[in-house]
Amino acid sequence: MILKIARRNIWRSKKRSLTLLLAISLGLWSGMFLIAFYNGMIEQRVNAAIQDEISHIQIHHPNFLNDHESRFIVPDAEKTIKLIKENSSVKAVAGRLILFGMIASPSGSTGIKINGIQTEAENKLTQLSSKLIDGHYFTPSKRNEIIIGQKLANKLKLNINKKTILTFQDTAGNLASAAFRIAGIFKTQNTPFDETNVFVNIEELDSLAGLKGGIHEIAVLLYSNNSLDSCLQRFKSVLPELEVKSWIEISPEIGITVSAGTQMVYIYMGIILLALTFGIINTMMMSVLERTREIGMLLALGMNKFKIFTMILWETCFLILAGCPVGMILAFITIAITHHTGIHLNNYSEVYANFGYSPVVYPNLNMDQLIKIIFMVIITALVSAIFPAQRALKIKPASAIKN
Amino acid sequence: MKQAVIDAHNLSKIYDEDSIPVVALDHAQLHLNRGEFTAIKGPSGSGKTTLLNMIGGLDHPSSGYVEINGTNITKLHGNALIDFRLNNIGFVFQSYNLIPVLTAKENIEFIMLLQKIPAKQREMRVLELLKQVGLENKGDKRPGELSGGQQQRIAVARALASKPQFILADEPTANLDSVSATNLLDMMLKLNEEENMTFVFSTHDQRVISRARRVITLEDGKIVEDTAPAKITNGINLLE
Repeated sequence: MILKIARRNIWRSKKRSLTLLLAISLGLWSGMFLIAFYNGMIEQRVNAAIQDEISHIQIHHPNFLNDHESRFIVPDAEKTIKLIKENSSVKAVAGRLILFGMIASPSGSTGIKINGIQTEAENKLTQLSSKLIDGHYFTPSKRNEIIIGQKLANKLKLNINKKTILTFQDTAGNLASAAFRIAGIFKTQNTPFDETNVFVNIEELDSLAGLKGGIHEIAVLLYSNNSLDSCLQRFKSVLPELEVKSWIEISPEIGITVSAGTQMVYIYMGIILLALTFGIINTMMMSVLERTREIGMLLALGMNKFKIFTMILWETCFLILAGCPVGMILAFITIAITHHTGIHLNNYSEVYANFGYSPVVYPNLNMDQLIKIIFMVIITALVSAIFPAQRALKIKPASAIKN
Repeated sequence: MKQAVIDAHNLSKIYDEDSIPVVALDHAQLHLNRGEFTAIKGPSGSGKTTLLNMIGGLDHPSSGYVEINGTNITKLHGNALIDFRLNNIGFVFQSYNLIPVLTAKENIEFIMLLQKIPAKQREMRVLELLKQVGLENKGDKRPGELSGGQQQRIAVARALASKPQFILADEPTANLDSVSATNLLDMMLKLNEEENMTFVFSTHDQRVISRARRVITLEDGKIVEDTAPAKITNGINLLE
């Protein structure tokens, strides 16, 4: 009966209840969509970083990441690569020779990271060829080809087939220079990456640097991020003399972006729900005050305080639970559509690219977040119910009925 | 010897004791037996409702105490007092005060639900009470669909539902037209005669006063007269 009274009481003031239901629905919809939007943005950033730049795991000589000196090569690199390839969770693996130097054109010069790559293996790893917007991927028959990013090409006014000079330090500590012809220009979602990375054939760079078959970095791409921890443990145990690091350790700023982004969306959701809480408290408070005489009568007749409290609690919960499905369905539909079509933020593509984000966002909401949202909504309902219910308990039957 | 249902001992109620004290009830002494049909009359502000509230456990006296069937209800507080009211006292209010979102049947059943009476018994009692108040065919109507008189009858049925020791009615006919008021009084008198149900009214209404078997007059919070009107009660003075 208490449930029945609570349910029917909601509709005593239809306009007020509908307004509140609309507010709850819109609040939940916007909160869920915001979370999905941020999710999509962060997921794309992480995926792009893993797929295009870092890969899931990187293996180096223990001193290489501290000093970046060319002498810190991975010993028995080919054997290590073969060992890693045997792991069923590994999708692709490639060795890289990494030098830091300068690139020069008639228009100027700038500091860059020179990536000597195993062209075929690298293409499987980062699909570099698919990111070319001009020119072609490395041709086996041609020597001294270089692939550079669009941002760098624009900066140095370089085009396809133009020559550029790379200068770097060889193993003997002498400055070495070589001319390379631009074979392709790539573009990723991350403009700073495009501006600071160039790719050349590992064998050519190796012979110029005098490394004699050395590899500085082994990048490992897994089929799924879920097997990251197990693979990391496995590689660490079989390669104790090397430094085995995950993408989060290699690029902690991305890990921070993920955790900060996750916290931020819950803070946004919290703010939305807090605003809704005040709206709900206000509405329920009005409802209780309007029914002072009725509640006083219920107390007089013998409805105890716990039951009065429960009745107000149910009324609040019914209001929120009626608004939730509408908001959730709206959110699911919007997320499903935009997840399929993507949200094109073309007007801000430059800004997004400067921070490594894609201008097309595919919103996505996972089950864990959905459960957390539902939990937050339930807490909101309970918190919102407490104040009006407490107010109802303060009613004195004698004066309430008299008024 | 008649069995006492209500015993009010030296009841006083002073409002705003800390600022400007207003004496609403001044050392009222009252003894009501089972089966009485009593009207409490007096001008506005004489303390009728205050006295009724004290007897009904809706308010606490500043001094004195009330015993219902030997239980000192002045000592009861919170849910204990609410439970006592539920099981011992029936209330009929001036503005009917039915629960607007429930039907007439549900309004009557509500009290029994609070008493945790089994569904079958509740159902039978609701039908019986609707019949007693002459509204068998109005059970599914909501209060808004009933006339004032009908609502007050449902309120009486609701008050009877818990099988209370007595029914307190605060100005029950104040909002009714004369026909409805007469019908309501007839019905309550019938219940009083047939079921020996004790009724206590506060009223201004001469129709109620003239049909009461005992009339208590209050003035300035004091009981100034306690008697049976000469023209009623078949010549029996219930005070004797």
